[in-house]
Amino acid sequence: MGGGGFTMEPENPALDDYVRTLAPAREPRICLLPTAGGDSEDQIRRFHTAFSDKLCEPTHISLFRLGTHPVPLREHLLAQDIIYVGGGSMINLLALWRAHGLDEILREAWQSGIVLAGLSAGSMCWFEWGVTKSVGAPVPARGLGFLPGSNSVHYDGEPERRPVYLSSVASGAIPPGWAVDDSAGLLFRGARLAEVVASRPGARAYRVRAVDGETVEEVIEPRLLKAPAHADPTAPLAVEELRALHAARRGRRLD
Amino acid sequence: MTRPRQIVAFGGGGFSMEAGNPLLDDYVLGLAAAAGRDRPKVCFLPTASGDADHYVVRFYRHFPAGRCEPSHISLFRRDCGTDDIRSHLLDQDLIYVGGGSVICLMGVLRAHGLDVALREAWEAGVVLCGLSAGSLCWFAEAMTGYHGNSRPVQGIGLIPRSNAVHYDKEPHRRPAYHAAVAGGMPGGFAAEDGAALHFVGEELARVVSSRPESRAFRVDRVDDEVVETQLVTHYLGAETAEPALAA
Repeated sequence: MGGGGFTMEPENPALDDYVRTLAPAREPRICLLPTAGGDSEDQIRRFHTAFSDKLCEPTHISLFRLGTHPVPLREHLLAQDIIYVGGGSMINLLALWRAHGLDEILREAWQSGIVLAGLSAGSMCWFEWGVTKSVGAPVPARGLGFLPGSNSVHYDGEPERRPVYLSSVASGAIPPGWAVDDSAGLLFRGARLAEVVASRPGARAYRVRAVDGETVEEVIEPRLLKAPAHADPTAPLAVEELRALHAARRGRRLD
Repeated sequence: MTRPRQIVAFGGGGFSMEAGNPLLDDYVLGLAAAAGRDRPKVCFLPTASGDADHYVVRFYRHFPAGRCEPSHISLFRRDCGTDDIRSHLLDQDLIYVGGGSVICLMGVLRAHGLDVALREAWEAGVVLCGLSAGSLCWFAEAMTGYHGNSRPVQGIGLIPRSNAVHYDKEPHRRPAYHAAVAGGMPGGFAAEDGAALHFVGEELARVVSSRPESRAFRVDRVDDEVVETQLVTHYLGAETAEPALAA
């Protein structure tokens, strides 16, 4: 996602609901990695608020709090249906993942069919390259490289990334790739782009490549996701009942 | 005049852990003031906590502008270049590294080149201090704070020894530290909450404490045996009644 989801559009669950439906499980296990935001309590709280009333089993891992809240990282992550990576500093995200061996665990997770999702830093991290503002002015930064090519996010919301992205692709410093507006998302199956979706009209994605030293931005019109007007898949269960269920599970599965 | 290289490594304590007991923070502020200005420049690095907002706020509350010139650097919300961060750090009298996860701290410091910048600051005589992860990071090796699973991790290595913190609070830390030293980790220093190790250059000059009962230890491997020696600790609360101590 170029931007969006519960942290950026709390009133519009369309992208998060889309992510949730990508997992075949009826009640998918979804784990937030808020690493790029320094495991901010705010991001964690908003995730649980957004997902606790949905048909899913939300958890999070705080690498900064492993000392007081230990979690078996590999075991917990490989047991998920969806891993959702929050936004923040891309440089810190990758440094912290490497320090904890999460780069390898996430590759294993991806290869085993766990849906990997995220916005901003949590989007660019999957590609070979991104354009980060985590060291001040926008600069290209290496990602994990599960997906070939490059990715630039907040393409409409933070226009200062665009010239850096375009010139870096034009010079060949980074490979061609995809620029994505806030509220738009790219779905890759394997390493191939399968679909482009958006949670609001006007949000777009662009295929960006160099042709004779010039960059070309080719618009990809997304499929507009419908915000569910209370066609909530959790309808058969009362919200309170679902909460009680989650609480009981948390008690059993964690801590 | 060249300023000495100084590090004060707290086993635990200071504003983040000892509300109402400013003895350790006053001690490091005193060192910073002695090194130069009346209103020393103090920069807080909350990196090990993930730059937690409440931690930054508490720092400014305990290091008010009346006593010093406070600032902080957030590596999660960086808005300036590496050269600017480096020169800001070199311009300080005191750099205070907060507690949290030492693995996270080291990962982020290295990603931003701050391990190098902090070494430069130390060499230039900026006093470095910190508690917990902010103590461990200065040593060559350190014991992480993992709950029930303390293990060695590499620090910046300004002090070519090892370090363990919160030595009183968590009983698993002592056997884990001893086992690591027995297994080849360089010997070093363990400090309880409230105790702080003051190094001048690479040598321990003094152990100070904010509580009369806080202890610190030297832990070394001698002939295949780990030997732990309690260090003489100067309680800062009684200092005014005592004659000046020779370093």
